Amino acid sequence: MTSIGIIANPASGKDIRRLVSYATVIDNNEKVNIVTRIILAAQGMGIDTILCMPDTFLIAERVIDSLSREKVLTASIEVLAMPINGSAADSTLAAEMMRAAGVGCVVSLGGAGTSRAVAKTIGNTPLLPVSTGTNNVYPSMLEGTSVGIAAAVVARIPDPLSCCVHDKRIEVSINDGEKTDIALIDAVVVDAVCVGAKAIWDCSEIRRLVVSRCHPACIGFSSIAGCIEPVGVEDDHGYTITLSTRGRRVQAPIAAGVIAELYVTEHRRLALAEGLRFRAEDAGMIALDGEREIRFKAGDILTFTVTRNGPFRVDMDCTMVRAVQNGHFQ
Amino acid sequence: MKMNKQILKDMYLRMRRIREFEVKAQNLFAEGKIPGFVHLYIGEEAVATGVSVCLRDDDFITSTHRGHGHIVAKGGDLRFMMAELFGKESGYCKGKGGSMHIADRTKGILGANGIVGAGQNIAVGAGLSCSYRQTDQVCVCFFGDASTNQGTFHESMNLASIWKLPIVFVCENNYYGISMSQARHQAIKDIADRGASYGIPGIAVDGNDVTAVYEAANEAIARARKGLGPTLLECKTYRHRGHFEGDAGLYKPTEEQKEWLAKDPLPRFSSFLLENGFSEKDVADLDKTVADEIAEAIRFADESAYPAVEKTVEDVYSDIIEEVRSR
Repeated sequence: MTSIGIIANPASGKDIRRLVSYATVIDNNEKVNIVTRIILAAQGMGIDTILCMPDTFLIAERVIDSLSREKVLTASIEVLAMPINGSAADSTLAAEMMRAAGVGCVVSLGGAGTSRAVAKTIGNTPLLPVSTGTNNVYPSMLEGTSVGIAAAVVARIPDPLSCCVHDKRIEVSINDGEKTDIALIDAVVVDAVCVGAKAIWDCSEIRRLVVSRCHPACIGFSSIAGCIEPVGVEDDHGYTITLSTRGRRVQAPIAAGVIAELYVTEHRRLALAEGLRFRAEDAGMIALDGEREIRFKAGDILTFTVTRNGPFRVDMDCTMVRAVQNGHFQ
Repeated sequence: MKMNKQILKDMYLRMRRIREFEVKAQNLFAEGKIPGFVHLYIGEEAVATGVSVCLRDDDFITSTHRGHGHIVAKGGDLRFMMAELFGKESGYCKGKGGSMHIADRTKGILGANGIVGAGQNIAVGAGLSCSYRQTDQVCVCFFGDASTNQGTFHESMNLASIWKLPIVFVCENNYYGISMSQARHQAIKDIADRGASYGIPGIAVDGNDVTAVYEAANEAIARARKGLGPTLLECKTYRHRGHFEGDAGLYKPTEEQKEWLAKDPLPRFSSFLLENGFSEKDVADLDKTVADEIAEAIRFADESAYPAVEKTVEDVYSDIIEEVRSR
């Protein structure tokens, strides 16, 4: 059996960033189309079993229905038997089940938040993150057909990790383990008291930023660091900056179509495994990959550590070249 | 987005007022004190509150058959509301309209509405009025998930978009159109997706989290006030009761109900207040304030008189119709 997994988040791409910026809109029917293309390409390239996360929009069931009616479905599509919570926990659980089932590659559809949820449990299974979310730093805008081909190739070759990039991540801890979580791209300390609409868009609320990688072309809060010193995927360090109302002026694309003016008081590299540790002066929230997630109190000890413990992300270009060299298209 | 203590207190008061009003209406209906129909808003309080707290008195709202919450949140007088439910002369419609026709022009409340989707057209009219008069007023249009299958929804969204009217379309997606689940009446899950069809922002938020609704509504209303056009804001929520009092809601799976009761917006928000500078006593005092207000509204309604028989058709027909008849 050669198998892949597909985790499509039906909730991505609908948050307040469509209102406070000019973020991409991808509706759920388009996600069905993308999954259809992935499945057709993957089965065409030799995949015989595809595991799918169940969801409230019934993305997998719609694809099965459509392709079965057309009589073009040759692979076996199995919708995972798991409860649907309607939250990011579904993606985390589905990734865990797919890893346990031994799939050769997991394709995720969503934003950075979806990739983050999957990264928590995916282990060493290759991840191919497709953007159907907002600012698209971690997942990429990719054509479903190419994604299906690449996922199939990775699942079929004996050394799949050779076609992958081992990503960094940011490990976040409050009071030395009282609460822990991860971010793949950025962790932002914000002066806010609630999760609210999740995203952050008011730059005056940002106090500190830790990134695993950054570049001015990567839209989102990591770009603030990226506009000072780009940090690549391969670099064995992250970066941290502190913001205030005065200091070094930086213009950065913090959201789709939004160039913000910010003032940086401190900025420096953060070596792998070097913990950035400080006591919170006031209560606030930590936003992980763009969404407010963790609340902390005044006096709490916050620790941010950049590590090389992120997912193995499929390198599309490398994979396609390998596919040609290995004769997958013959 | 910063929320000061005054806003948090205001939001809690409005949510608690709606809940207490509705729980009392439920009991009074069961006791036979309230005639006609009542469609209760219990469970959806965060939506009306999070939106209305961003509005001014001169802003407009249009409402639905499940309108008590909208009217309470927008500042409607609890005494006149309760008296109307009782069918008393001191009520908003002199006791002749009942639950589904409460309006208050002084607060910009353009009326609850018994016709599904009918408020959407009225909102376009109000929005056009604001635009034509060049004011910075805004109209918020509340409606349910099933009404987005009506022609009125699409006509209203289309016109509002073309004319860039200052309207925020607030869809209270409680997942049921009477007894039919959303999965059975719509091919989409997120009604916010329909915004793109009309070239306007469509966003979805947790409608049981008043802070999430507030943040999204605040941005949407500010956008409308600046003349940047309408927004479709979908708030995912759940009604705890049946479609109307008397409907046992047997079509709602038990597990689903349990899940949503665990996400009840009232205890969720009171816990939030306790974590953010409010004491148990602060919250209890606010609860007491609301309980007194509701008790006074019931006393007022109970002691008011029924309209006299000879006034049965008074205010029912407009003067124009009377003039025509007299010819």
